[in-house]
Amino acid sequence: MTPTKEPTGPLSALREFPQNIWNSIFRNPLPSTDLERSSTSFTNFFLHIHPVKVNRNTLRPAYTMGLGLMATFLFVILVVTGVLLMFYYVPSTTQAYDRMLDLRGTVAFGIFLRNMHRWSAHGMVAIVFLHMCRVFFTGAYKRPREFNWILGVLLLLVTLFLSFTGYLLPWDQLAFWAITVGTSIAGYAPIVGQQIKFVLLGDTTVGQEALLRFYVLHVAVLPAVLVLLMAIHFWRIRKDGGLSRPEKRPAPATDAGVVKLKKIYGLQGFVRGPFTKLGNVPDDSVYSWPNLLMAELFVFVLTISAILVVSLLFNAPLEQPVNVMHPPNPAKAPWYFLGLQEMVSYSAFWGGIGIPGLMVAVLLLVPYIDRGTAGVGRWFAKERLLANTIFLTLVILNVIFIVIGTFFRGPNWSLVWPF
Amino acid sequence: MRLALAVASLVVLVVHGVVFRNQFFHEWERHQTAYIEQARSLAKTDRERTDLDARSPRIEQIIVSSFGDTHVDRCTTCHLAADDPRFMNHAEPLKTHPYSAALGDVQRNGQWERRHKFSDFGCTVCHDGEGRGLDTFYAHGQDEFWPDPLTGYVTQANWRKDFSPHLKGNEYMEANCAQCHTEEGFAGTPHVNRGRKLFYAMNCYGCHKIDGMSEGTLGPDLTEAGKKFKVDYLWESIVEPRANLDTSFMPNFHLPQDDVEALVIFLKSRRGVNFAETSLDRYKAHVANVAVVIPPGTAGEKAGEQLLGDRACTACHKLGDKDGGIAPDLSYEGLIRNEQWLADHFANPRSRVPDSIMPAFRFPADDFQKLTAYLETLKTPPPSNWDPQTTFTNLCARCHGEKGDGNGKVAWYIDPSPRDFTKQGFMASKPRARFVASIQEGVGGTSMPPWKQILKEDQVNGVLDYIMKNFARQIFVEQRRRNLPEANPVAASPESINRGEQIFELRCTGCHGRKADGKGPNSLDIFPHPRNFRNHWFVESVPDKRLFESIEYGVQGTAMPSWIDMLSTNEVGDVINFIRSLQTKSK
Repeated sequence: MTPTKEPTGPLSALREFPQNIWNSIFRNPLPSTDLERSSTSFTNFFLHIHPVKVNRNTLRPAYTMGLGLMATFLFVILVVTGVLLMFYYVPSTTQAYDRMLDLRGTVAFGIFLRNMHRWSAHGMVAIVFLHMCRVFFTGAYKRPREFNWILGVLLLLVTLFLSFTGYLLPWDQLAFWAITVGTSIAGYAPIVGQQIKFVLLGDTTVGQEALLRFYVLHVAVLPAVLVLLMAIHFWRIRKDGGLSRPEKRPAPATDAGVVKLKKIYGLQGFVRGPFTKLGNVPDDSVYSWPNLLMAELFVFVLTISAILVVSLLFNAPLEQPVNVMHPPNPAKAPWYFLGLQEMVSYSAFWGGIGIPGLMVAVLLLVPYIDRGTAGVGRWFAKERLLANTIFLTLVILNVIFIVIGTFFRGPNWSLVWPF
Repeated sequence: MRLALAVASLVVLVVHGVVFRNQFFHEWERHQTAYIEQARSLAKTDRERTDLDARSPRIEQIIVSSFGDTHVDRCTTCHLAADDPRFMNHAEPLKTHPYSAALGDVQRNGQWERRHKFSDFGCTVCHDGEGRGLDTFYAHGQDEFWPDPLTGYVTQANWRKDFSPHLKGNEYMEANCAQCHTEEGFAGTPHVNRGRKLFYAMNCYGCHKIDGMSEGTLGPDLTEAGKKFKVDYLWESIVEPRANLDTSFMPNFHLPQDDVEALVIFLKSRRGVNFAETSLDRYKAHVANVAVVIPPGTAGEKAGEQLLGDRACTACHKLGDKDGGIAPDLSYEGLIRNEQWLADHFANPRSRVPDSIMPAFRFPADDFQKLTAYLETLKTPPPSNWDPQTTFTNLCARCHGEKGDGNGKVAWYIDPSPRDFTKQGFMASKPRARFVASIQEGVGGTSMPPWKQILKEDQVNGVLDYIMKNFARQIFVEQRRRNLPEANPVAASPESINRGEQIFELRCTGCHGRKADGKGPNSLDIFPHPRNFRNHWFVESVPDKRLFESIEYGVQGTAMPSWIDMLSTNEVGDVINFIRSLQTKSK
């Protein structure tokens, strides 16, 4: 904000050159008034995804735990590291493994990029799952957020599939046999199972065709789908009135933070929606800048420092080159599918298709079955005891199956003691 | 929150610092700098010095495409002085690769010249290891997932500690020499040559197949053993055959350590297509019907006895104090088998015991004669004053088990299984005369030999009493009178055989198999296993009357049911005609 003064000569243009460039990019100075705060959020391309003001509840770390943001940031890390890895990777059965060796040994930062990509991918699966649990236990999927829950379930599935397709790319024994197991589980689906498997693999066994397909799915198709779904997911958060929160509390004693009808900052004042405040409506919200921004920055730094530390300490696994004739015993799917594999060991159809299919169906239907609005916005609300208990049971069962499959299964899928 | 933010930011910064340090200050750069400095002090001309001054650390690599898959060897990034003779007395990694006349290196005008130039061969063709790696741990193949660690130098952390000391040494590299130097008896690969000889001498070829070398089918195919397995695994498989597979029946040959080492090196050299041959050669070797020719063993007076040791017979059989624990006792062979039987059995063990697992070895005929002659001399009977219990323990328990339950030391490897004497149903339903006959005359087509030349009649009865008293615990119960024809009343006409075959297919194949070889779909779960009717030695030793009895009334103590309510006497006669008709073909 440099008010133009009278003398406008070439000299002053030169003197104001840096300031002018800055001003042309950022329309606002660092905000110091409420007007500037809202203007900052409203006029910046990267910030305009935020509302100008957010409810205090949204910023409570104990409420959201920042899980959704973490998943988003992990995805950003995955995109950045993934694109860098793409410069070195060749989806060919004869070259892929050698490229992994080059990444590990020769390429600058190669091993670190791969570690970051690998651990972020595992982290994203886990965090997205936890995010879903958070949303369920706080009842956040209730009206009007039913559709966003559906989008969330789809995002979970796409995330799993992304991680699964990436699992094959190193083309080592771990990858080859995990995908062999994983696609075999898909083959148990009734009627179309074998066709699905064939379309996925482009062949009857995992080979060059499968590698190419998984690569294209992993770097192009699925990320595009994920980005689209994420965009709708975020957009819906705003259109559904921000994050869920407890029912209206009695009006605050003071009228601080009450927006007067007179003052309208930009167009947002005219937007009709459930939570745009006009008049003497009690308002429990704060400005996004800097409150929400700081929270986001905090989650981002936390996420990336965790990933960096893990990547520094642990190298991504790279096992023997693929040997089609020599399966490891036991051959295990990626950890997030080990619960399925464990169930498959009891019954191929029910474990691999029936129960997971039912689970997804239940997840998709939950917001349309569970219609009561009591208890929304609180963790483990008493009013939602039944729903929460059912969901928690399923979650614990899933975790137990994954733990058994990961740690307690030895050669020939026999029970072993891992310690 | 601000404090946490600051801490987390610091972590991010520190990690970046560490990562950048790792990326820009490589171990190999230090080695290269050291090399340049030392080479500079050794340099004789100014030109050399200025060249060295201009040099900065960089990744060196040799790309080798003449030997199988393309090798990318970056070993010389650290081992920069490998080809610089001035560094002969330096420490690794800046040490000259030794020159050796044995490797074909020659000295001209005081300068060594390599036969295997690094620019042509690279490093990993001979040494293995991960050529692409730049970090010692991965480059040397110390990572447990790397299939070929630096051969003879590196043992991986998950290898068995008791083997690791044996798995080091230059001789292991012979396995790689043999990829090009395939000729038998090549002087540079003594261990491979010795291993190849042992492969035949220790009878490995009898069970294992190696394309172009042997045709065995009992054990795993070893054509690509060197590609599939690490030396640690190979060593373990020879020294402790059951370490990996509990049910393996590979004998423990108790080889001396240098023999094991030679075999391991030989097997490591088996990598399917080697560098010296084309894939067409390999295909020809694969389809060729290999006639394995074993060089004759020792001649001379005690040749037979010597051969028995040299040919590793006691790796499975028992003789004297040597016992492989897999096959029958040979101590009284001269008394229980005649020359003809031995000759037939050597030529093809299955011609005498159709379900035997003993391979047909390809010794020269002369060796077989000597072995037969030697076995025929084993005619010393055991002391005649043995009491029945001692007799049973020494002669019977090896197959029938100390507890008489048919589960002796070698029972698992014998088909048909030794009789389980604790099955009261069987033991009580057969007349004593039949047991006496089985002991005295043996059971045709099985491992049960005739004992009549070893045990006198009273000894036989003594053993039988001992068995009945201690294991069967029930003496013969006279059955209700059974109406059985003495001979088959149905003539063996083609029509009868045809009818018999139809009945057999309908009623019998579930257990006895479509081929009547006793290997039907249910046979695996049944003990004793169903009879193999292709075993003509057995079938012909059994009279029609006994076949009638077994079919019509069942065999008590086994899974064979009674068919008397389902099949008429004539139908049983048809089935018997069908079974008998199978025998002529197999003869």
